[in-house]
Amino acid sequence: MAIFQSKNRKNNQILPYLFTSLTWCSGALIILIFIGLIIELCWQGRQAFSVFGFEFITSTTWNPVKQQYSAGVSLIGTLLSSCIGVMLALPLSFGCAYCLSELMPRFIARYMTATIQLLAAIPSIILGMWGFFILVPLMSKYVQPFLKQVFGNVPYVEILFSGGTFGVGILTAGLILAIMITPFITAMMQESFANTPSMLKESAYSLGATKWEVMRHVTLPWVQKGVIGGIVLGWGRALGETMAVTFVIGNAHHAGWSLFTSSNTIASLIALEFSESTAGSLKMSSLMALGAVLMMISFIVLFCSQLLLKQVLKSR
Amino acid sequence: MIHDETAISIQKVDFYYGAQQALKNINFDVQANKVTAMIGPSGCGKSTLLRMLNRMYDLYPNQHAKGQVLFDGVNILDKETDLNILRSRIGMVFQKPTPFSMSIYDNIAFGIKLYERLSSAQMQEKVEKVLRQVALWDEVKDRLYRSALGLSGGQQQRLCIARALAVEPEVILLDEPTSALDPISTAKIEELLDILKENYTILLVTHNLQQAARCADKVAFFYAGELVEMNDAAILFTKPAQTKTHDYITGRFG
Amino acid sequence: MSQKLQKLHGNKNYLLSWRFIKNRLMTIFAFVTLGIMLCILVSILTNLIINGFSGLSFFTLFHMTAPQGLPGGLLNPILGSIIQVGLATLIAVPLGILGGVFLAECPNKKLSASIRFIADMMMSVPSILIGLFVYIILVMTMGYSAFAGACALAILALPVIARTTEEALNMVPVAIHEAGFALGAPKWKVVFLVCLPAARGGVITGILLAISRIAGETAPLLFTSLGNSDWSWNIFKPMASLPLVIYQYADSADDIWINLAWTAALLITIFVLCLNLIARIYVDRRRKKDQSL
Repeated sequence: MAIFQSKNRKNNQILPYLFTSLTWCSGALIILIFIGLIIELCWQGRQAFSVFGFEFITSTTWNPVKQQYSAGVSLIGTLLSSCIGVMLALPLSFGCAYCLSELMPRFIARYMTATIQLLAAIPSIILGMWGFFILVPLMSKYVQPFLKQVFGNVPYVEILFSGGTFGVGILTAGLILAIMITPFITAMMQESFANTPSMLKESAYSLGATKWEVMRHVTLPWVQKGVIGGIVLGWGRALGETMAVTFVIGNAHHAGWSLFTSSNTIASLIALEFSESTAGSLKMSSLMALGAVLMMISFIVLFCSQLLLKQVLKSR
Repeated sequence: MIHDETAISIQKVDFYYGAQQALKNINFDVQANKVTAMIGPSGCGKSTLLRMLNRMYDLYPNQHAKGQVLFDGVNILDKETDLNILRSRIGMVFQKPTPFSMSIYDNIAFGIKLYERLSSAQMQEKVEKVLRQVALWDEVKDRLYRSALGLSGGQQQRLCIARALAVEPEVILLDEPTSALDPISTAKIEELLDILKENYTILLVTHNLQQAARCADKVAFFYAGELVEMNDAAILFTKPAQTKTHDYITGRFG
Repeated sequence: MSQKLQKLHGNKNYLLSWRFIKNRLMTIFAFVTLGIMLCILVSILTNLIINGFSGLSFFTLFHMTAPQGLPGGLLNPILGSIIQVGLATLIAVPLGILGGVFLAECPNKKLSASIRFIADMMMSVPSILIGLFVYIILVMTMGYSAFAGACALAILALPVIARTTEEALNMVPVAIHEAGFALGAPKWKVVFLVCLPAARGGVITGILLAISRIAGETAPLLFTSLGNSDWSWNIFKPMASLPLVIYQYADSADDIWINLAWTAALLITIFVLCLNLIARIYVDRRRKKDQSL
């Protein structure tokens, strides 16, 4: 029986028809919004793209007086801060997931999992505020001077940790992003670990392997794709985070080698500059173009992560 | 080789899943270099007993055992028992083949590396030796470094037996090792058991009475968490002492 | 006694000890990371409570925001948040549920798979881009309004509700599904009168989680509802909301405003965490019921 056709069409014509069309519309709406999002952003940014051309992405100037705009600095800021975020989140979330799914007694682990997930529920603006009032002073007083002391004399590395220790900057933004995505990646990892067949783990234990050896040699290879997909998805989330980053990155249109320098990300730049631009101006168009660039990056990253995760589902 | 020597002695063992008792006062001796089969309807506790012998239940906090299981003169249910060493001396093979997602070679080397540091030549030699023991060498020698997941079910199960053997255990526990296999693979594994018992003590849980009759020297019949009867295979299948055993082997229930 | 067991494997002693050290180290590492995350959570919550609780008074809750320097409250942002989140929920719930039904029941598997794929991606699309999108299609034509803000929030909630509805529908046993058809009921009746009620637990959980997600969203509101220091009931005018007030006040140099920002943050967090807890307890209770069946 064709699912979307009602058998007794004659005596009841309107409702089944309404049902079919409404569900189809809502399904189509999801696609429409998504495609509309991409097209509209590119369309609104066309002026900036046509004026600056390819230099919009490669150049680093942002000068409202001279009417010159480009995505370079904020693009670097976005990629750098999110990569730092993922790099910090990786050990954190792996440790948490390992602890929660293998090491803790189950009834404690259940409450702990719920507690860690509370962190994921906290709105990003509150995380940003916490970062601004609590984390930034900590960074400027302890963490950044410490890093400077440790790495200050190591050739090549020192440049990453040079400059003033004001607390704000790319490193702090990365840290906040790490805190934001860790619960998320932890949940994904826990799910993958739980889906590993217990017989497989048991057969490694039956050879006398320790918990770590089972995790390292049996569970991790088995869940590889799911874990990588989860990490990439976490990265995708970090790329477009606005509020948490805006508070702590310093918001300067400046790119440097030091992780302590204030910079900005695409999202924070849009959030900040939007109120100071008028509709139809080149600046507004540049902001839309920035949005389009961010959309492209997010699209690629999210697409890859979904592909990985879907493959895992299929193989089960 | 001394025969009729006791390898494992199980004395007054109770086992609990949470509050639910799964084994009640089990007493029996497992003889060295024999195949001992455990039969009984599902849920009778035979797999539970098997998993107790290498302390697999320790992975699950709500399961616990009481009593004594003497192996090499010590009670392995004691807290002080070193689980990793215990498990290296009592190997296990599961219902379904459980190859790790690595190459055939690494599957076997994984267990060896846990206990010995070998040069690659020695390792090669040892891997070949155990693969020959399970009659798998000729089938896989050309693809040792390919994923073990590409093998057939029967081959995978023999690989798992080889992996257990590579750790050089004294006892091998087999939990319905052929339940997921076709008859030809099953026959190969049964042949294998016959050869292996010269060097190892084998405990076999099986649903398949014919299999028990074919491979086992001793058979233990379990029912509802109790050991009903244990005897030589020939005697138990022809002249069972208990009516329950008789009913089970003649197919009245289970 | 365990020594005796080990003695037989005496030659393996050295390696064994290193294996155990490694295992121990990883265990410590895992517990440390968990501890770090817990400390961060505790730090966030205690700071919210310490800084926000002092401002949580009758006056704050029932007075409008005031210009800098004057004593003000949070009444209009609270009302604005409630109205916008409520409106967004009203828009997103029916559309989301219908979308979920579509995903679960669509006969064209390829189409539903691609919509599912897009919905999954949309859940992680930067929310600021959703804000820009709504700005382009609504604000550029009809100006800043609470309605536009609600639309942006609804777009954020839509894929979450659709996917959880779909998953809940897929959990409904085929037998129940078929029993409905066996009575001769048409498709739409089976779905709405049999399947959705059977799946309501999952659907409600999804809605709660979606609301808790949009309640704290700030970025999409920046370009849509703009914020408003006065109050108006007109949803086609700019409207204040708690996240926007936090954004504006936390960045100021005024202590009173910063305190109000903490209070607003505390309010949102309490709301969001409560919704989350309710959803979680609900899921747990249902799981227990399922297990007992």
